[in-house]
Amino acid sequence: MRLPERQVAALEAASATDAQPIPDLAAEAGIDEAAATTAVFELEADGLVEVESETEGSVSLTDEAHEYLEDGLPEVRFYRAAVEAGAAAEPVSMGQIIGAAGLEGPQVDIALSNFARKGYGQIESGEVSANPDADPDSDPEAAALETLAAGETVDDGDILERLDERGLIEREEHTVRSVLLTDDGVDALMAGVEAAETADRLTPEMLTSGEWDDVEFTDYNVEADATEAGAGKVHVLRQAGERVKDVLVGMGFQEMDGPHADADFWINDALFMPQDHPARTHWDRFALDVDPVGDLPEDLVRAVENAHREGVGSDGDGYHSPWSEDFAREVALRGHTTSLSMRYLAGAAEALSDGDGQPSEGGDLEPPQRYFSVEKAYRNDTIDSTHLLEFFQIEGWVMAEDLSVRDLMGTFEEFYAQFGITDVQFKPHYNPYTEPSFELFGRHPETDELIEIGNSGIFREEVLSPLGVECDVMAWGLALERLAMLYTGAEDIRDLHGTLADLEFLRNAEVIY
Amino acid sequence: MPVVDIDTDELRRLTGHDEKDDDQLKEDLFGLGLEFEGETEEGDLQFEFAPDRLDRLSVEGVARSLRYHYGDDRGVDVPDTNDSDWTIQVDSSVPDERPYVAGAVVRGVDLDEDALDSLIQLQEKLHATMGRKRAKGAIGIHDLTMLKAERIEQREIGEENDLEKPEDLTPVGGDDTGPTDVSGPTITYRGIDPEGDEFVPLDADKGMTPAEVLTDHPTGEEYADIVREYERYPAIYDELGLFSFPPVINGQRTEVTTESRELLVELTGTDQWTIDRMLAIICYALDARGATLENVDVVYADDAAGEHAGDHLVRPELDTREKTVSHDRIETTLGIDLEMEEVIDLFERSGLDATANLGETAEYEVEIPPYRTDVLHPADLVDDVGRAYGFDELEPEYPDIGTIGGRHERSRLERATRSALVGLGFEDLLNFHLSSPAENYWRMTEYLGKDVSSALSSEDLSPDEREFLNDEGLAFEEVLDDEQLRDVVTDQYGDVVGFGAPVRVTSAYSEDYTQLRTWALPSIMHVLENNTHRRYPQELAEVGFVAEQDDEENTHVAEHRTVAAAIARTDATYEDIKGKLQALVAEFDVDLETPATEHPSFIDGRAAEVVIDGESVGVIGEIHPRVLVERDLEVPVAAFEFRLDALAE
Repeated sequence: MRLPERQVAALEAASATDAQPIPDLAAEAGIDEAAATTAVFELEADGLVEVESETEGSVSLTDEAHEYLEDGLPEVRFYRAAVEAGAAAEPVSMGQIIGAAGLEGPQVDIALSNFARKGYGQIESGEVSANPDADPDSDPEAAALETLAAGETVDDGDILERLDERGLIEREEHTVRSVLLTDDGVDALMAGVEAAETADRLTPEMLTSGEWDDVEFTDYNVEADATEAGAGKVHVLRQAGERVKDVLVGMGFQEMDGPHADADFWINDALFMPQDHPARTHWDRFALDVDPVGDLPEDLVRAVENAHREGVGSDGDGYHSPWSEDFAREVALRGHTTSLSMRYLAGAAEALSDGDGQPSEGGDLEPPQRYFSVEKAYRNDTIDSTHLLEFFQIEGWVMAEDLSVRDLMGTFEEFYAQFGITDVQFKPHYNPYTEPSFELFGRHPETDELIEIGNSGIFREEVLSPLGVECDVMAWGLALERLAMLYTGAEDIRDLHGTLADLEFLRNAEVIY
Repeated sequence: MPVVDIDTDELRRLTGHDEKDDDQLKEDLFGLGLEFEGETEEGDLQFEFAPDRLDRLSVEGVARSLRYHYGDDRGVDVPDTNDSDWTIQVDSSVPDERPYVAGAVVRGVDLDEDALDSLIQLQEKLHATMGRKRAKGAIGIHDLTMLKAERIEQREIGEENDLEKPEDLTPVGGDDTGPTDVSGPTITYRGIDPEGDEFVPLDADKGMTPAEVLTDHPTGEEYADIVREYERYPAIYDELGLFSFPPVINGQRTEVTTESRELLVELTGTDQWTIDRMLAIICYALDARGATLENVDVVYADDAAGEHAGDHLVRPELDTREKTVSHDRIETTLGIDLEMEEVIDLFERSGLDATANLGETAEYEVEIPPYRTDVLHPADLVDDVGRAYGFDELEPEYPDIGTIGGRHERSRLERATRSALVGLGFEDLLNFHLSSPAENYWRMTEYLGKDVSSALSSEDLSPDEREFLNDEGLAFEEVLDDEQLRDVVTDQYGDVVGFGAPVRVTSAYSEDYTQLRTWALPSIMHVLENNTHRRYPQELAEVGFVAEQDDEENTHVAEHRTVAAAIARTDATYEDIKGKLQALVAEFDVDLETPATEHPSFIDGRAAEVVIDGESVGVIGEIHPRVLVERDLEVPVAAFEFRLDALAE
């Protein structure tokens, strides 16, 4: 039988009759204790030895105890110095004795407190009197320390307790493993074992020398957990966003970009949202404390104002709501990224505030076109487990000569099918900027629950005509977080997004692909 | 979205469909776009719907829609109205801000508890929606028999009325609109001094002036904002005096009860069209309960405010409107072929009437009833046809349109940068763009808790500032506001990353989110602070949005994307973060230099500018211990932040 070297050593050192503790076995085998332990367990796994475990208490001396073994216990030294100074006859000043005993620092307090406790004498008003009958040579604590230092055991529990309290000993329980040869082990030894040369690691030297060919590699426990590697990861909500972008690009959509802080004109007026719409009131808008925008395209402003006041087309009616250009010029955080769609449809996308010299992506668009963005929108409200002040809106639109509700349905069915959401339902809905409009519902891929997954419609002529668009445009919007919560199973949106994030949640989040 | 409370027994009675149980009604209503939300304490069912069909704000309107849906009714129905007897005179004193009025008389009403509840609900829901919380239009409903008005000549009103500013009352009419037009019983809508008269409002036990109502009456307090700035307050008078203070509260005298059989409905507002439409919806609801509608003459004084001065209107206005929609438009939008008879049938099932017009292009003249406030354009009629046809009957079809997809350049750059950071071992973060001065500035400075006089070394301080700062013993945050902190930082360090002018939110709900962040490192530090119990090392990065005030920009807001990263671990040093920065930048074809600099968030001597292709675009260094201690961090943090566009080609 060929066994790794350390196993051979351990096996040969083991006895079939006397169980040996592993340290003894290691000493006898001439290998270190860790190697012996590993070898013994390997041998046990092969059935060649038997390992017995026993729990044993042990007592070890602290560094302080070792000091006292050399110098004597502080209270004993104090007593001897006191007797020396004649305190057995008459009280002597404490300071004198401390000096004579050579006590320093914390040892002084230790000496004083134990001096009285052990009956070596009394201290009153700084005067020390020693008990002449005391016998420092038979101090039981000192004796116990001597005994322990000699490697013997002390059975007196009270003494041990006191030494423990004084911090002079440490009591520990540990497991002692003993090894005994099994019958198979004896047989193996009888039949003869020889050492195979083994290696723990493959080293560069082995590779260059060719030694790798002569060695046997020790087995690893390949099932055991390793220390986890720290790895970076793209934020799970970004991953969801990337996934959506992939799908949309695959469906022929181009990405839009544009300002987060924008004129109300682009956020609401261009969308035919009346200026007295409840969503445009003081508290619901995310108004910013900056001056109104400088430039708005004059012709476009007039056309939008006219749509609001008079409607569009010979049979169109406007809103009976106030409209002022001042309000349209106010700056707010966009409540939806539809402001980008308005800019692109108007050919005003070049008004990027990034200042990074991006050329116009919009211009005068000719049908057909498909555009999208997955960007942040803002809502001025309070935060809770399903609502944040900031969320990612997926926004998309399709421009073509003629578009029908069936085209809209077909497009969204394709889109949602990519995310495992089939059986999309279209519930007729109302938006000020689209007609017809639909809320989109779908089945949750896991729970089969019917959930709202978007809002869609065909842009009204009151929106498109002022922008100079003469064909049909259908659009839809959806919160990315809603899709991501479906994916990750996150129940609190605050885990998913923002500075309140739990790093462990992000580290453990499943990838989205 | 609006919610309507429905007593389903009433709904069964008004539709004539006793056989429908609640579940069937719920399903039918879902088909109309009314979604079941829950039950009220009284056991009514609540339905939520989109705010276009405001005629469905009461059980009567919902019942009407259902009867069309079931096919029990077809086409347009306009209630009859009797000739007018009563007149509402609009006085020249009427408030400029709220000059319009409309009204109707309703006779033979049978108001049991349910009907009265429904009427009050409709009134309140119309206030909340079209009425814009009563600011744009408000409805007052009165017991007609409690009003006193003689059949008098118009001119006598002014002479008899000694309650308020008789000199302001201008006789109406003149040659064309003589007294014959206003010979019936007359009430007057006018403006009065806030303290000018008294009446006993609803839910009160004593006379109050309008001004007192605003301060001492709960309803008055609620709606005070609408009229507070008015010079004259709106008031409606009969012969006995002030009986209504629109849009705030009615008087007790004319309160409507289940005993009331004859009603006066009056509306005041800032827009005639809006109150006319609200009145039409109320009239349709009362008509559905079998009441008789009677016109009211509304006579505007020649010098009354608003665009109807001198006009004589007859209300309620229940005229239908017509719009034309082409057959082709309907077919194109729905994506199906339809016979013209079929389309006409669908219109009628929507409560509209349509006449086919076979000219050059086949089209329909569609008649629209007055309660359909939502129809602004022929597209709204196409939607009605679609709903009547059943949108869910349409077969989805993927449009046969070829377009080329692609990512925006900035979005690709962000992705590449994020991917490089992740490759360097950073956890990618996604933080809020909204922050607060405390997070964005204060908690990122070495100044927090430091004696304010230490800023005196700055050479750029004016004598005034010196005196201000020479306040020994006080910490910076006890003396300086956010602006002053930024001034001190600028004085001491110049323009440094992160300390630009904030873009503030005008009305923030939470003090934690009052401005846009000017840089991203505070967000990363915040995440570190919230995760001290999590495994270290923590290496975090974000490619994200930041903004600051900049009057060079059209929006006055300069928006940027920034790249920020931090390493937090027991032995994090400048060298570690510099190594990461070098590796990141090396992935792009740009040159990096890091000349020494000083920054209030970093340790002196361990901070540098990030200079990319010769332009200073950011900062890198070891975070100041004051910032770490403030955030309960027990490990050093090394970090950088620079502008993303520096990596662009």
